[in-house]
Amino acid sequence: MLDVLQSGNLAGAAAPAGGDGRKSERRNGLLFVSPWLLGLLLFYIGPMIATLVMSFTDYHYVSESGAGTRFVGLDNWSRLFNDPMVAHSAFVTLKFALLFVPLSVLLPLALAYLMTARGLWARGFFRAAFFLPAIVPGVSALFVWQGFLNGDDGWLNRMLGVIGISGPNWLGDTTWVLPGYALIATWGVGNTMLIFTSALNGVPRELYEAATIDGAGPWYLFRHVTLPMISPMTFYNLVLTLVALGQYFVVPFVLTKGTGDPGGSGMFYTMYFYRETFRFYDAGYGSALAWMMFAAIMAATGLLFWSQRFWVHYAYEVKS
Amino acid sequence: MPTTNQSASGGTGRSPLRQPTRRAVLMGALGAGAALATSACSSGGSGGNGGGVTITWFVGLGTGADPGQPEKQQRVVDAFNASQNEITLKLNVVSAASAQDTLATQISGGNAPDIVGPVGIGGAQLFDGQWLDLAPLVKSEGFDTSVYSTAQMDAMKDRTGAQVALPFGVYPSFIWYNKDLFDEAKLPYPPQKFGAKYNGGTWDMAALRELAKKLTVDANGNDATSSAFDPKKIVQWGFDPQYNEGTPQNHGTFFGAGSYVAKDNKTAQIPPAWLAEWKWYYDMIWTDHSAPTYQQLQSDTLNKGNAFATGKVAMAFTHTWYLASLTDSSGTPQTFWDIAANPSYNGEITDKQNSDSFRLTKAGKHPEAAFKVLAYLLTTGAGDLLKIYNAMPANKKLQADYIKSLDKTWTQGVDWQVALDALEHPDVPSAEGWMPNYNKSVDLTNKFGNRWVTTPGLDIDAEAAKLRTQLQALFDTAG
Repeated sequence: MLDVLQSGNLAGAAAPAGGDGRKSERRNGLLFVSPWLLGLLLFYIGPMIATLVMSFTDYHYVSESGAGTRFVGLDNWSRLFNDPMVAHSAFVTLKFALLFVPLSVLLPLALAYLMTARGLWARGFFRAAFFLPAIVPGVSALFVWQGFLNGDDGWLNRMLGVIGISGPNWLGDTTWVLPGYALIATWGVGNTMLIFTSALNGVPRELYEAATIDGAGPWYLFRHVTLPMISPMTFYNLVLTLVALGQYFVVPFVLTKGTGDPGGSGMFYTMYFYRETFRFYDAGYGSALAWMMFAAIMAATGLLFWSQRFWVHYAYEVKS
Repeated sequence: MPTTNQSASGGTGRSPLRQPTRRAVLMGALGAGAALATSACSSGGSGGNGGGVTITWFVGLGTGADPGQPEKQQRVVDAFNASQNEITLKLNVVSAASAQDTLATQISGGNAPDIVGPVGIGGAQLFDGQWLDLAPLVKSEGFDTSVYSTAQMDAMKDRTGAQVALPFGVYPSFIWYNKDLFDEAKLPYPPQKFGAKYNGGTWDMAALRELAKKLTVDANGNDATSSAFDPKKIVQWGFDPQYNEGTPQNHGTFFGAGSYVAKDNKTAQIPPAWLAEWKWYYDMIWTDHSAPTYQQLQSDTLNKGNAFATGKVAMAFTHTWYLASLTDSSGTPQTFWDIAANPSYNGEITDKQNSDSFRLTKAGKHPEAAFKVLAYLLTTGAGDLLKIYNAMPANKKLQADYIKSLDKTWTQGVDWQVALDALEHPDVPSAEGWMPNYNKSVDLTNKFGNRWVTTPGLDIDAEAAKLRTQLQALFDTAG
């Protein structure tokens, strides 16, 4: 028994080291992961292949004319590259990324830094308070935000009014709608803050002590000790933020009822995809749009993974 | 730990903790699968009170999915199932937000429900071509349609002339006015007879606009006719086309009936009455400030769009379905209001009417059984269902009871005759009628409508011309 524990080979405890034992172990392993594999095949790989095939057809969920589905070759793909709404919605998404990505990483990092400050009073309370929004149902919170950001009698503009600033029509003005959505995004930073808090707590004290003895100030410590040490978590949060950006849909959809108003300035790529696929039932074109989105997110994530060699510091060497 | 007897292959040892054999695992999995399949079949099969074939009733495309409604509809379903043993009726209520997607998915997946509704003309257009022609079933089942007017029956036909629904509920529209605000301003109430005069003059759209200005008040107590009026501090508005603000064809019909498509079913057009209304309403928002902007409508002051119920809007133009929203925050019915006749435009009075009915899908597998259910919903179950949906019965024999039931809730003594009289001025063609490339065309018109209620300084003539051009492009690409 001790041998088994020492070897860590619980599943093969009763089996000899020979081929039969390994086979049995592999079979059991496969059996245990098979529900997940089945789910992956049925609900991810299968639909992905189906949508790739559909992107070469004119398949409509509900056809007004009642005509059957036809293969249309590359028509949907060529339409995608000539559709001004695709470029527009991608541009809206990229513009939003300029606000969303830094805010989703830097704000929780700043909060986590404060949470780990030595002299902070009521640390537990603040940590809970910042995390609390993460457990409020998203759509209900959105309606509160809608009231908060209302240009006419919203609380934010009332507060700005107290200091003599006439606030904009946050969700109804083409200039301010994306900053408005970015403000709403601050609602969900609690999760990321917790990850950063954990990473900051994991930085060895000795490093700070050694650097301090060498004369490092607070900024130097942060720049040359803290940031490199938490860079794996920063990288992880960046990847998640990027994926969240690619999926950004619920906020503009709920607040504009899917219109992307005002004037299309809130028409994100995901919203356009949804409109074509599920409002106009154009599943063939929608599939091409979905694959394009998938390719873009994969490319961006790949770029991020490639870039980590320049700025992510791992305590151990990663070998492929 | 009794592990010493275990062999490498799990063979001869009989330990109580031995690993399960592959056969045992497979048998277990098969057993669990069979149990799941049996459970799925029993829940989706022909079990239940009624027995026989199962008919699915899909609710959510129109009204019917609001809080409290599903339970009441289920009671109608239970009563039907208890009344016979040939059909089991199953209710499937989907929230309005996802109903369109769900139904589209069900139809495309070969799992279409048998009955869909209540659904209005516009909601049904989203699934144009999917509805069964009921005329043969009406004939073979001997269903009595004499209780409906010819106009009502015609309104339930699609563009090909197929009788895709039978009349059930109608929702006439009219002016709803806040008596308290009129009393406070010492202004006479609007007329309750169609064609009657107001304050000695013609009750027309110009009169309503002028009245709305007098009833629009800022925080200093100045009304919108005063030079001291401050449009940045409005606390009370004169008029709102309640829940029709962003849909040009809906509020346009206040001035007259029309369609975006000409009689050739190909050419895009803007009905002149609609264009006149669009300018009139736009000026009320941005010049007179007597109608709220979209931003104001979405504020807490106007309860995120349910403006008239806040008591801060003097007049609204909307349908009887609005009764469901006419409560305070605790759900208590508001009683500060009464209803009045629609004003005329160019001497004509038009009443925009919504209607709800149930439709059978072409893809349904049991049309005869589904029609039996439909007949039940339109007759025996109609009384309960109409109350659930706040719908006025299309069946004239049921209208008196409906009015009585309203008086129990709205105790202030509403003149419901206005609603009955409104039915005499139907909008033909319906504002929700068919046009080519329907989903995209409606999306486009709503885009324009939303722009008008959010953007000052527009030239509505130019906007209308642009809308017509873009509609034509969509019509030209229709399959």
